[in-house]
Amino acid sequence: MRGTYFEDVVVDKITTSPAITVTETHVAMYLGVTRELPVGPAPVPDVLPLCMTIGLGWRIKDPPMAVLAFVGLDWKVVKPLRVGDTMHSRSRILSKRAMRDGGIVVEERSIVDQHGEVVQQGRFTFLVAKRHKEASA
Amino acid sequence: MTEHRRYFDEISLGEECESPGRTVTEADIVMFAGLSGDYNVLHTDAEFMKQSIFGERIAHGLLCLAIQSGLFSRASVPYATLAFAGLRWKFKAPVKIGDTIRLRAKVTAKKDLSKADRGLVTLERTVLNQRDEVVQQGETDLIVEKRR
Repeated sequence: MRGTYFEDVVVDKITTSPAITVTETHVAMYLGVTRELPVGPAPVPDVLPLCMTIGLGWRIKDPPMAVLAFVGLDWKVVKPLRVGDTMHSRSRILSKRAMRDGGIVVEERSIVDQHGEVVQQGRFTFLVAKRHKEASA
Repeated sequence: MTEHRRYFDEISLGEECESPGRTVTEADIVMFAGLSGDYNVLHTDAEFMKQSIFGERIAHGLLCLAIQSGLFSRASVPYATLAFAGLRWKFKAPVKIGDTIRLRAKVTAKKDLSKADRGLVTLERTVLNQRDEVVQQGETDLIVEKRR
C-alpha cells in the first residue's frame, strides 16, 4: 500500500484541498446509487459533500494517508449546500496513536463553500498503515 | 412514491423499524469511486486486495452509510425532514461485493428546538449484513417539521 504512512503523519498539520463544484450530475448519481429520497428543501443531499470531501483528499500535493480502514466519524451539518456551490475541505491532524498493525489518526475537517463559510465539519478517525521495511528502502 | 410524510409529533420515542435488504454490488463501488473520487486500493485494486486481510475489495464505508440513508426512507413512512443535522458513526466490519445489508433503526430521543416549527429526532441505527453481523452503527440527528 502506498501513500503517507502512519510514521509520516504530522500532528497539527493543516491541509487545504482543491475545490469542486457540486453539480446536478453529482446529485443524480448519488440519488441513483443510494435511492435516498430528497430531504427537505436542500437540493444537495447532506451526505453527498461528506462523500466528496474524501475524494478531494486525493487531489492534494502530498500522497493521501495509507488508510487501512475508516474507523468512524463525528459529523455536523452546519448549513445546506446547493447545486452550483463550490466546496473544498480544510483538515488538521488532531492526534495519532500507534498500534501493533498501523496506528489511529484523528483528523478534524471542515467543508467550506465558495464564500469561505463552513457548511459541514467534524472529526474522522482512520486506521493508517505503518511503513513496510521494503517500502522505506 | 407516497406524498404522506410524518411530522415530529407523529414520531414516537422508542419506535423501531427495519428496512428491506440491499445487495452491495461491484457496480455500486465503481460508481461511488467515480462520484466521491475515493480510489483507495481497498475499493479499486482487486489484485492488491487478494493479499490483504480482507481477501478482496471492500465497499467504501461512506457508500454503505449513504445506502443505509436511502434504506431508511424505505423502512418506514418518510419523516417531514427539514435537514440532516449530524451523526456519530462507527464502521465496525467490512462490506464485501455481494453482501446484503439492511438497516435497523430506533428513535432514542426527541427534543424541541428554539424554532417552534421543528424538533430534533435522534435515531440509533444499526447496519447488519446477511449473517446478522453489525457492519456499521451510530446515531443520526434529523431536524423534523412539526404539524402546523
